Amino acid sequence: MECVVQGIIETQHVEALEILLQGICGVHRDRLRVHEICLKNNPNLGNVASEVRLLCDLEQPEPTWTVKHLGGAMRGAGAEQISVLVRSMVESKVSKNALRLFNALGYKLDHELLRVGFAFHFQRGAQITVTVSSVNKMLKLHATDEAVPVTPGIQLVEVTAPASSENYTEVASAVSSFCEYLAPLLHLSKPGVSTGVVPTAAAAAVSLMSDGGGTTL
Amino acid sequence: MAAMEGVAMQDQSQQQQQQQLVPPQPVAVERLNQAVVQQLNLEAVKTRAISLFKAISRILEDFDAYARTNTTPKWQDILGQYSMVNLELFNIVDEIRKVSKAFVVHPKNVNAENATILPVMLSSKLLPEMEIDDNSKREQLLLGMQNLPIPSQIEKLKSRIDMIGAACESAEKVLADTRKAYCFGTRQGPQILPTLDKGQALKIQEQENLLRAAVNSGEGLRLPGDQRQMTPALPMHLVDLLPVGDGVHTFSDASGMYMKNTPPLSSNSIGNQGNLLQASGAQLIGRSAASPSAATSATSFDNTTASPVPYANSPRSGTNMMNTPSPQQQQQQQQQQQQQQQQQRQKMMQLPHQQQLLAQQQFRQSQMQGLGQLHGQHQMQFSQPMGHQQFQGRQMASGHVQHGIGQSQLGQGNQLNRHLSQFSGAANSALFNAAQGTSNSQMIPNMSATVSSQSLLPRMQFGLAGNNPQRSHASQMLSDQMFNMGASNPGSMIQQQQQQQQQHNTQGAFGNMQPNAQNLQSNMVALQNAQQNHPNFAQQRQQNQQ
Repeated sequence: MECVVQGIIETQHVEALEILLQGICGVHRDRLRVHEICLKNNPNLGNVASEVRLLCDLEQPEPTWTVKHLGGAMRGAGAEQISVLVRSMVESKVSKNALRLFNALGYKLDHELLRVGFAFHFQRGAQITVTVSSVNKMLKLHATDEAVPVTPGIQLVEVTAPASSENYTEVASAVSSFCEYLAPLLHLSKPGVSTGVVPTAAAAAVSLMSDGGGTTL
Repeated sequence: MAAMEGVAMQDQSQQQQQQQLVPPQPVAVERLNQAVVQQLNLEAVKTRAISLFKAISRILEDFDAYARTNTTPKWQDILGQYSMVNLELFNIVDEIRKVSKAFVVHPKNVNAENATILPVMLSSKLLPEMEIDDNSKREQLLLGMQNLPIPSQIEKLKSRIDMIGAACESAEKVLADTRKAYCFGTRQGPQILPTLDKGQALKIQEQENLLRAAVNSGEGLRLPGDQRQMTPALPMHLVDLLPVGDGVHTFSDASGMYMKNTPPLSSNSIGNQGNLLQASGAQLIGRSAASPSAATSATSFDNTTASPVPYANSPRSGTNMMNTPSPQQQQQQQQQQQQQQQQQRQKMMQLPHQQQLLAQQQFRQSQMQGLGQLHGQHQMQFSQPMGHQQFQGRQMASGHVQHGIGQSQLGQGNQLNRHLSQFSGAANSALFNAAQGTSNSQMIPNMSATVSSQSLLPRMQFGLAGNNPQRSHASQMLSDQMFNMGASNPGSMIQQQQQQQQQHNTQGAFGNMQPNAQNLQSNMVALQNAQQNHPNFAQQRQQNQQ
């Protein structure tokens, strides 16, 4: 299970956001370069289309693979009151044969994307991960070296935290309180809910980036 | 500063109090000069003061948090925020200063609090240190002018002041421009939040929807079918995992065979049949694990020990013999094959060297096959030194198959199949059963041998003087009477051998192996072996074992 919120930020403000996050999280950023391959199984093989994602971390010296399954989001009145999205998520590290295995099982490539950016992992009420990345698409199959951004001027910010059915409310509140720190620069919302950009983003970015002009009184 | 601020605050509060007190009394009240009031701009000052207060308290909270959580604060950030606060305070005070002349400290009550400080605040005499400071500054100022008459001193001072004033103004201008560029607050009023105009907001909204859809549901990222051609240059992390071909989607049954493969082999097995055949050939060749003849290594193709047994038990050979494809089928296969040659070529670049050799050989074979097929079933139309007629002769029956330069071998493959099919059924089944058991690696070393054996069929004698020990098999095959091979031009044989080897594999295999990549692989090898494993198996064995 995980709690997740997403937001967007203009690419020009990403550096300011990084400074802000560095200050809030207190850890250094990790570079992020993940090739995400989304596989869908043949509908003939089952009643429900099943989707699985293979993530290949290209930042490591030896690419590491992870398989991830995202389930349905929590529904109901309680879910609507929570400001983050709570959904089931299963993740596991796998060997590089995973792709072959899934192909053998009948899963076909549905789409793939490449995320390039940075991430912060820290503990603040919950183990929170913030990723700021440019989402790139590949014009040719698997051509990660020639990926182009889907939206050049906008990057995606995603805040996720793993949770379990017992503690998801605490995790959700930790995530939403963290998001308030980012309020000057961006608004975060459940995936699928669009937010737009924040009008104060420019000014906040400037103040974060500036060296500060000191005027003596 | 604090004192001044306190004074300003006091002023404001006093003003407000005065104004509040005044209305009930009809007595002429003391009002501030309207101009002063306007300049003072009480409300604005109050707002700014409050916002500044909030900012400062926020920063203090942050510091508190830092202290509590023991994290290292981001000094740049803090300095930035401090500068903001500083600036704002300065602005407020400056505004007040302009009008402070109109006010005077007027303590209403003198109580214990005020008593001590009042004399100091009210006195106009400078403190001793301040007085010394003042004097020294005055001396500095009037350094060269003490002796001049007063008016000239005044003049000089005035000019100095003007110069300084001009410098300050230009500096102010630069500052203001920079402020505008960075959207800093102006000195008048609180900062106006920049709002996006509608067009911009719409564009951003559009982009945002694109992005969110792409991330969450993959919209806009799906390549249409025709664009799903695998790029020839796969990124490093995928190079070992995917075949160069059309199909990440098609996964051959040869996967089972893969598992026996040693890792160095590239994953050529996935993919279309043509690719698979060729790829698997490479893999088979390279495989060393699970092969009964453990002697074969990944480089075994070139180094295969001359194992005497031509792998009669190989299923490949058996299947080859059994499943002679119809000419049409063969043609289609080869056409397919040719299409994949491109990809093969590219793929070869990625293979390790050894496998490249294999792949190259296979590639050439496939090329040949394709050419052969395209030109017509079993029509060796390539101009070959051997002579065209011979080829045709070959095609007719199990007979004189001239081994043309490589190309002829394509035809050979076809003909071989026919030949094989002409063998007695018993022999075929025997071979087939026998072939089931052996591993590929065993069969592979015989590839060259089988190739040469094919050439033997057409009654050519192979001058198997080749460097390749495998070829020595062929020499043994030469004397295989069953094949009724006549002596052919040894020289040409030598030439052809190499090419035969390469071409041989694919052709036969394609013919037989349509559905199953495994079969293709096995057939490929089997085809080669089949020649050797001809019903005269015993004979061959003997010969090979020599």
